[in-house]
Amino acid sequence: MNRPVLVRREQALRGGQPLSFAIGLVVALTIGIVLLLGAGHDPVAIYERMFVAALGDPDSWSVTLNRAVPLGLAGLAVAIAGSMGLWNIGAEGQILAGAMMAAGVARIGEGWPGPVLVTAILVGGVLGGSLWALGPAVARSQIGVNEILTTLMLNEVALRLAQWLIHGPWKDPDSFNFPLAPMIPDHGRLPTLFGRAHVGVIVALVVIALFAVAVNRTAWGFELRVAGSSGATARYAGISLERKTATVLVMAGGAAGLAGGIELAGTADRLTEGISNGFGYAGIIVAALALMRPSGVAAVAVLFGAVQIGGQSIQTMGVSSSVSTILQALILFGAIGAGVLSRYQVRMVAGDPGGDVVELGEAR
Amino acid sequence: MMNKFDTLPAVTAVELSGIWKRFPGVVANAGASLSVYRGSIHAVLGENGAGKSTLMNVLAGVYRPDEGEVRVEGVEHRFRTPADALASGIGMVHQEFRLVPSFTVAENVVLGAAARVLRRQAIEDEVGELAERFGLATRPERPVWQLSMGERQRVEILKALWRDARILILDEPTAVLTPAEADELGVVLRAMADAGRSVIFISHKLHEVTGFCDEATVLRGGRTVAASMSVPDTDAGELASLMVGSLPVTTERPPAHPTGPPLLEVSGLSALGDRGLPALESVDLTVRAGEIVGIAGVAGNGQRELCQVVSGLRPAKAGTVHLAGDDMTGASPRRLFQAGLGYIPEDRLGVGLAPRLSVIDNSILRTYEAHRRGPFIVADRAEAHCADLVERFGVRTGPLDEPMAGLSGGNLQRLLVGRELSGRPRVVMAAQPTRGLDVQGVKAIQDLLVEAREAGAAVLLVSEDLDELLTLADRLVVMHDGEIVGEFDPTTAARSEIGEAMIGHAAGVGS
Repeated sequence: MNRPVLVRREQALRGGQPLSFAIGLVVALTIGIVLLLGAGHDPVAIYERMFVAALGDPDSWSVTLNRAVPLGLAGLAVAIAGSMGLWNIGAEGQILAGAMMAAGVARIGEGWPGPVLVTAILVGGVLGGSLWALGPAVARSQIGVNEILTTLMLNEVALRLAQWLIHGPWKDPDSFNFPLAPMIPDHGRLPTLFGRAHVGVIVALVVIALFAVAVNRTAWGFELRVAGSSGATARYAGISLERKTATVLVMAGGAAGLAGGIELAGTADRLTEGISNGFGYAGIIVAALALMRPSGVAAVAVLFGAVQIGGQSIQTMGVSSSVSTILQALILFGAIGAGVLSRYQVRMVAGDPGGDVVELGEAR
Repeated sequence: MMNKFDTLPAVTAVELSGIWKRFPGVVANAGASLSVYRGSIHAVLGENGAGKSTLMNVLAGVYRPDEGEVRVEGVEHRFRTPADALASGIGMVHQEFRLVPSFTVAENVVLGAAARVLRRQAIEDEVGELAERFGLATRPERPVWQLSMGERQRVEILKALWRDARILILDEPTAVLTPAEADELGVVLRAMADAGRSVIFISHKLHEVTGFCDEATVLRGGRTVAASMSVPDTDAGELASLMVGSLPVTTERPPAHPTGPPLLEVSGLSALGDRGLPALESVDLTVRAGEIVGIAGVAGNGQRELCQVVSGLRPAKAGTVHLAGDDMTGASPRRLFQAGLGYIPEDRLGVGLAPRLSVIDNSILRTYEAHRRGPFIVADRAEAHCADLVERFGVRTGPLDEPMAGLSGGNLQRLLVGRELSGRPRVVMAAQPTRGLDVQGVKAIQDLLVEAREAGAAVLLVSEDLDELLTLADRLVVMHDGEIVGEFDPTTAARSEIGEAMIGHAAGVGS
C-alpha cells in the first residue's frame, strides 16, 4: 500500500508565493462550487458578484483598498517582528490602542485646522500602538519574558479599556444613552482619493515600502535579519540584541497603531470596540503568507482585502455569512497549502500508515 | 581475530547487489553492492555524498531501491518500512538519537516493543541483563537526559538488541563520542560480533576502521569501488586513496621557524559555564606570531568556554586577555574582530553563520559596517566582496543571493574560514575547524590555517582530533576540567602521554 509523504524540495519553486496564492484560489473556488451548490445557490452568479464587488470597478477597488490598509499594516506589525524571529500576536490590541489614542487626540484638537488635526490623529495612532507594545518590548529585551504571551494578553486589556471609554468617560451625551463615542470632527477625517478610498491607502503603502527597504537594504535591517536567523550568530557579529528587540517590537506596535488611527479617521469615524474587527489576527495570516517579509505584505493585504469584501458582498444575495466565511477560509487554506507545496513535494511511499514513520524530510 | 574466518564457515549475513537509488537531480547509489559476513565488523567507508547513508537506508527499509537486490541471510527481501527490516533482524542506530529524554533507559529501550503491561522493576532487570550480556555499561533506572552522549548511544544500541537485531548498522557512531568512549564502543561491537551478530560501521575516520573493523567496503560516487577488503591486509593510506579516488594529499607539517612577539596572551582566566559552574580555572596561555598552538582535550573540559571568553561572547570572572599587547578583557566580539581576532567557532551553523540568509549576507556578517553608505548596505560592494571570497577560497556555491543553507558542509566552512581570514587577522582562533568535513575539505581548511601561520598570524587551534593537532601544531597544550594540565612538543610527545593528560591522570612537561 502506498501513502503520500512530504519531501522537502532541494530548492523552493521560483515565484512560489504568488503562484501558490493563485493555485490556492483556484482550489478554494472549486471546492466552493460544491459548497454553494449544496446550499442551493448558483456558483457562477455568486463568484461573479464576489469579483464585481471586490475588483469590478474603481468604486469596488476603493473599498478593497480601504480594507487592505489595516490588513497590510497589521501584517507589517507581525512581519517586522517576525524578521527578527519575534512573534507579535498583539496587533489587535495595538490597533485598538492606536485608535484610542487617536480618538483622544481628536477630542483635544477639535479646534485645530484640518491638516494639523489629521496628522495629529495619525501620529496619535502610532504613539498609542507603540505604547501598547512598550511593555512587552521591555519585558522581552530586559528579562526575556515571552512576547507571544504578553502581546496576546494585552489584546484583551485594550478591548476592555476601549469598552470602558465608550461606556464611561467618552460616552456621547447626545447618543440617547447608547454606549457610543462621539463622531470625530469632520475636518479630522482623512481626505478622499477616489471612490471611497482615503489617503490612508497611500500612507500605509509608504510605510510598508519604507520598512521593506529598511529590512532588505539597510544595515539596520541586516542586523534584524541576522538576529532573526540566530541570536548566537547576532552576538558573534557584534549586534546588541537587547536594544534591537525592544525597538523592533515598539516599531511593530507603531505600525499597528497607525492602522488604528487610519481606521478611526478614515472609515469608522468614531471609536468603537469593534474598530479593529479582527484585523490584528488577520495580520498574522497576512504576514505568514508574505513569508514574514515586509516587502510582500502589501500585495497579500490587497488580495486578502478583496477576498473579505467579496465574501461580505454575497451575503446580500442570501448566502449565509457562514458560507462566505468558509469560502474565505478555503482560499487561505489553499494559499497556505500551495505555499507548502512550493517548498515540498508529495511523493508516494510504500508502507501502511500504521507502520513506522518514514522520515525523509522534516516538515517545517 | 581474523582467524575465525579460517576455521568457521563464512556465512553471508547481508548481501546488497546492484542497488540504484535516484533522487531528484542526484543519483545517490549507482549500482552499489555490499556483502557482510556473519560475526564480523564491516566498515562502509566513503566521503560525504558517496552514498553510504542512502545504501544503509535501503538496507534498513527507510528507502526502497529503484533497482537491485537485498538479501538477508540468503533470503531476498523487499522492505517497505523500517519495521519490515527490523522484523528481518536489521537494526539501525542513527546519528541523531531518537530517545525520550524524560524516560528512563529501560523505558526507552522497550518503548514501542513491549505489548504487555510494563512493570518497571521487571523491564529494568531485563534491560540490565541484556546490557550486561554485551558489556554495555548502563543504569536502566536513570532518565536519559542525565546521560552523556556515549551512554545515550549505548541506549540506542540496546534498543536494537532488544528488538533482536542480528545485523546492526551504526551511522557514524563515533561522531558524538569522546576518544575514550569511541574505544569503549569498539570493545562493545567486538563482543557483539563474537556473539554471532554482524555490525556495519559507517565512518570516514580511517583510524577507527583500521582499529576495530574486520572488513571494509569503500563507496565513491554511489558505486562500490572496493568490496570487502580485509582490513588487516590494507592500511589507512590505501583506504583513503580509494575514498578520494586519487592519492590523498595529506597536510605536511609546516617547517618550524622562529616565532615573533606574543600576539594572544591569556593570563589567570576564569569563567563560569552555561550552568553557572566554574568552567575555566586560571588559564594561562600565550600564542606568538607565526606559530600554531593546539589545544587538546576531551570535549567539555573548558575549550568551548575559553574560545567564548577570548572572542568576547562570554564574560570572564577573573584574569585578562591581551591582543597584540592591548588589554581586550571584556571587549565586544566586534571590537575584538576589528582588533585582529579571526574566530572560527565550533558551531558553524548556529554561531558562525546565518543559514537562512544569503551567501552574500553571510560573507559580510563581520564587516557589514564597512559596506555601508549612510544607512544602506551597498549591495554591489557586498556582492563583489562575496564573489571575491568565493573565488579565493574555492567555495562551490549556487547563486550568491540564495540562502546559505543550500551549501554543503565543506563549502559552508570554506566560506566561514575565508571570511575570518580574508582581513589578515593577527590572531586566528579555530575551534574544531575540520570536524565532519570530508578528506578534501579537511585538507583545504588545514592548508588555510598553515598559510595564516606562515603569514605571521598567531593561530590557536582547538581540536578533538589528536592526529590533526599532532600534524599542525607547533606546541600542544592539554585542557582538563577547565585547566591547562600539560604542554607537549608534538614532534616528540608520545600519544599515550597526551592521552593520559587528557583524562587528567598525569601532567606533561612545563605545566
